[in-house]
Amino acid sequence: MRKLWAVLKREYRETVRKPSFLVMTVLAPFLLAALMVVPALLAVKGMGERRVAILDGTGRLGGIAAVLESPEGKAPFARGAGAGRGGTPAGKIAPEYVNLFAVDPKNAVGPYLARLASEGTPKDQLLDGVLLVPADAFERPITSLTYFSRSAVDLLAQESLGRVVNRLLQRERLSARGLEPSEVELLLAPLPVRTVQVTKSGQERTGGEGNFLVAMVFMALLFIPSLVYGQEVMRGVIQEKTDRVVEILVSSMTPMELLSGKILGMAAVGLTQIAVWMTMAGLLLGSGLSQAQAAGLDLSAVLRPVVAIWFVVFFVLSYLVTVGAYAAGGSIVSSEKEAQQVLTPVMIVFMVPWFLMMPILTSPDSNLSVVLSLVPIYTPMTMFIRILVSEPPAWQVALSLVLSVATIAFLLKATAKIFRAGLLATGKRPTIPELWRWLKEA
Amino acid sequence: MSQVLSVLDVVKHYGKVKAVDGVSFQVAAGRITGLLGRNGAGKTTTLRMITGVLHPDRGRVELFGAGVAEARDRLGYLPEERGLYRKMRVLDHLLFLAEIKGRSPAAMRPSAERWLRRFELWEKRDGKVEELSKGNQQKVQLAGALLFDPELVILDEPGSGLDPVNVVLVRRLLQELAAEGKAILLSTHQMGEAEKLCDEIVLVHDGKVVKAGPLAEVRASGGRDAVHLEFEGEAAFLAQLPGVGSARIDTNRAELRLEAGADAQEVLAAAVGRLRILRFEVVAPSLEEVFLEAVGGAPAEVAA
Repeated sequence: MRKLWAVLKREYRETVRKPSFLVMTVLAPFLLAALMVVPALLAVKGMGERRVAILDGTGRLGGIAAVLESPEGKAPFARGAGAGRGGTPAGKIAPEYVNLFAVDPKNAVGPYLARLASEGTPKDQLLDGVLLVPADAFERPITSLTYFSRSAVDLLAQESLGRVVNRLLQRERLSARGLEPSEVELLLAPLPVRTVQVTKSGQERTGGEGNFLVAMVFMALLFIPSLVYGQEVMRGVIQEKTDRVVEILVSSMTPMELLSGKILGMAAVGLTQIAVWMTMAGLLLGSGLSQAQAAGLDLSAVLRPVVAIWFVVFFVLSYLVTVGAYAAGGSIVSSEKEAQQVLTPVMIVFMVPWFLMMPILTSPDSNLSVVLSLVPIYTPMTMFIRILVSEPPAWQVALSLVLSVATIAFLLKATAKIFRAGLLATGKRPTIPELWRWLKEA
Repeated sequence: MSQVLSVLDVVKHYGKVKAVDGVSFQVAAGRITGLLGRNGAGKTTTLRMITGVLHPDRGRVELFGAGVAEARDRLGYLPEERGLYRKMRVLDHLLFLAEIKGRSPAAMRPSAERWLRRFELWEKRDGKVEELSKGNQQKVQLAGALLFDPELVILDEPGSGLDPVNVVLVRRLLQELAAEGKAILLSTHQMGEAEKLCDEIVLVHDGKVVKAGPLAEVRASGGRDAVHLEFEGEAAFLAQLPGVGSARIDTNRAELRLEAGADAQEVLAAAVGRLRILRFEVVAPSLEEVFLEAVGGAPAEVAA
């Protein structure tokens, strides 16, 4: 036990002292945030100030510019990710209204389409899109709007314009039937959907939308440190072999003590990191929670205290499973170069819950989710997500815990055996039969 | 003289190759025992079985009357391929090496500092291991094997990679430790070094012990003495003298190997009449000669 402690202490101290640890701990949250927010921002930013010519064959959509300016006209995506409700107008469309009533569009459209081409058009004349509303838009329900654009996937502008024009058409059609504008508004008013999760214990929880975001953050927290420090442990194991330190270590303790010490030491590093991140998140949330609530995300429903406890439990378990598997990998290969080849398939195997996050989140009690949450190497992560968004039966949670512990014990034991046998077998990677023999022999 | 270590008929295979084939010997407190043999004779494999790095396929190793696992904390080990964590600081590393031998790092600090001073590494105690020269890294490793005061010290090729000054330093150190009553087992392929250092010799060849015992006995077991002569005169006749097995005769020097039972005095008497003798010396055969005789190899192979 004392030796295990010595190894644990050494791993912890030497890792935490490395500059890379500090960088990772401080920068990772920002990187992660950037990874999630930047693409969304860029997508929204990409459609900032889009100049669109609206060629109105009906001559009755003159109010479109005003509607596009109002909150109703903003792209829903931009509203959610970029700015919060009623924030800055991200993804703004600058309309150029052209009344083409009683004009033959065949001739009139040409010059506007020409202004889509970036060559030969002065910058202030350049258009990003041209929307053609046919003259018979009010009369014939089977006609269509045409949107011309340089880009084939200008989806946000398309969706936003289509929605606004359709809304105007609806209003005009209803007004034409003699309805008062106020009646029209009442008829067209959309109702938002409020999600209420009814738990098995009969409680009602609102704010399910926040689950998704929180689940993603938690999954990243479960995944990233395990993968990073799993590789660290693997590298450490390989280095001990190539530097021959291992001979001294194994002559002083059992391989089991050595590996347990290493893996637990790394787990302590991971927990330290998580604690730092949690503190950072806590400080941020202190100021951000009210904002999130204002934005309609009630996170208190997901961030229950019990979640924190389960998180620590499953973090430790998933961490030990992943890191144990990496240590096993490290004990088989003899060089870091070789490890890279082994690493990729291992990574993909471990990423399965990540790829399946959507189906698990949306139906946490489906067969897929239940099975995945009881497969040894996936159980800690999947079960935690299920606990987060649903209420899995107690026996399944208990089974998950037992399976995780058994997997860890098995991995440690197997690794310890391979470790001793593979200790001096440098040079060539063992074949499967050789590995099997090592497992039985040692 | 108490036996500290008993190796009892150990066998180790690597796949189909038999690296160690029934080796037995003992190591006593206060003595320096040398495990001698060529490269690939099975020395390192034997030491690894003693230190618990490898399990023997057959036979067993007793340390202080117990199994290897129970007694490993009483044993200091300097492996052939030296291994230290490159990024660790020197003093931290020494304390870690003591800690994995079950000692408290706080209690071992004075000892670690003493060894660093003795090896002239005191100034470098806070530097990283990788910043040290190779020779200094060896000294750190040796200090790590000794600082927790083990009763048995096992060194695999302690002289390799050391400069002559450090070789002498290590030789003195080991003699000192033996005088303190510690048991020392070292492996080497340098017979000359072993002759200067060892009290007991275990000669291994092809995984088997070919000769073992106190140094003097092993050398004497070579039986045939060697005669070294320096002279003036025509000496070709020396090779034909009765009792002379082989002879190498130069202009004024000759080395004769006597046949079993031959008397060096008769050779001297025969030579005195016909040569002017400047020097006449009867020497026991060197360890190298004994070894070569035992395994029947050519000298060139030993140098490898």
